Amino acid sequence: MELSPYAQGGWRLLGDPRRFPRRPFAALLRAAFRSLLDDPQAGLDDPDLKDIDPTVLKHCHAAAAMCILEAGKQKADISAISTCLEDCKLDKERIEQFCTEYQKNKDALEILLGSIGRSPLHITDVSWRLEYQIKNNQLHKTYHPSYLVTLNVESSDSGSHPDVSFSCTMEQLQDLVGKLKDAAKSLERATQM
Amino acid sequence: MLLVLSAEHRAHLGCLPRAGGAAVGELGRLALEQLRRGAAPRACESAARKLNISVDIIQHGVEGLVYLLTESSKLMISEVDFQDSINVLGFSDELNKSLLQLYLDNRKEIRSILGELAPRLPSYHSLEWRLDVQLASRSLRQQIKPAVTMKLHLNQNEDQTAQVLQTDPATLLHLIQQLEQALGEMKMNHCRRIVRNMK
Repeated sequence: MELSPYAQGGWRLLGDPRRFPRRPFAALLRAAFRSLLDDPQAGLDDPDLKDIDPTVLKHCHAAAAMCILEAGKQKADISAISTCLEDCKLDKERIEQFCTEYQKNKDALEILLGSIGRSPLHITDVSWRLEYQIKNNQLHKTYHPSYLVTLNVESSDSGSHPDVSFSCTMEQLQDLVGKLKDAAKSLERATQM
Repeated sequence: MLLVLSAEHRAHLGCLPRAGGAAVGELGRLALEQLRRGAAPRACESAARKLNISVDIIQHGVEGLVYLLTESSKLMISEVDFQDSINVLGFSDELNKSLLQLYLDNRKEIRSILGELAPRLPSYHSLEWRLDVQLASRSLRQQIKPAVTMKLHLNQNEDQTAQVLQTDPATLLHLIQQLEQALGEMKMNHCRRIVRNMK
């Protein structure tokens, strides 16, 4: 795992006990994870950070966030993270503190990073309605069943998207279900490989 | 159920006996062509020349037949009802018989043409699918994320549209289960009773 020179500089500041005593260091780590995972608007308003120069604080916050994201992206293990932070002259205790916090948030971080990027509209659910057609203004005695299927979809950029609706005859619905079952069977076989 | 023919329709059909036996066959053919492809004044003109009848008579005859055939096909009236309906026109038995034959031979096709006019929602055409496993992305390496990518083809206002959709394995199983329930519903007593009694 490698960090940019800017991030390394930030971590060197974070490793300096005169600039960052223990409590402010812990507070900054918490703030960095929180702003990435819980609340992007979260600020650096922890009382433990009030004595730190804002420019330094900003630099260090960015460095911590870059390290967290890089570790998450590479799925770095503890030893890789440790080596990287040792290069920035962090002591054992601080490295351990970072790793503990990282382990706690690893899963949430993976979900967040996995959700970034484009993908086709995602089907989340389906609803259906069965009707029996009797007549219309052009044709009487039509008498055939018809389904109205609505696929609920969600787009990756979280913008709302209209659902996909279509009508189908019984034979068409059988065709659709048959194909979905083929897909499910192939999926099952693929997972057993 | 009998057809109710207005005076105007009767007048239009009234030209049939005057046109003669051979002409009725030709007019029937023209009427069906008109239902399939829309009005064709040229075809009427050439028929008029061939049969040596005025174009007006040919056109009225075709219109009368089109109305007779579409109305009876729309209502799906029985053989007997069709005969009774045209009886009021006072045609010869032979002409009545050939009209009945024209109706019976083409009823199915006319019903399918009329069926196309019904208001319709986008309808299912076909589905293609593909299994994917996402392995990495710019923001996250070393992933294993299975997905089913589908291309859904729909018929919409005579055009075909396609949409690419994706879902995860758990939702796929849920979709199958829901849609199988939908299919099963048609075999339930409630639906079968309605279908039986509507016929």
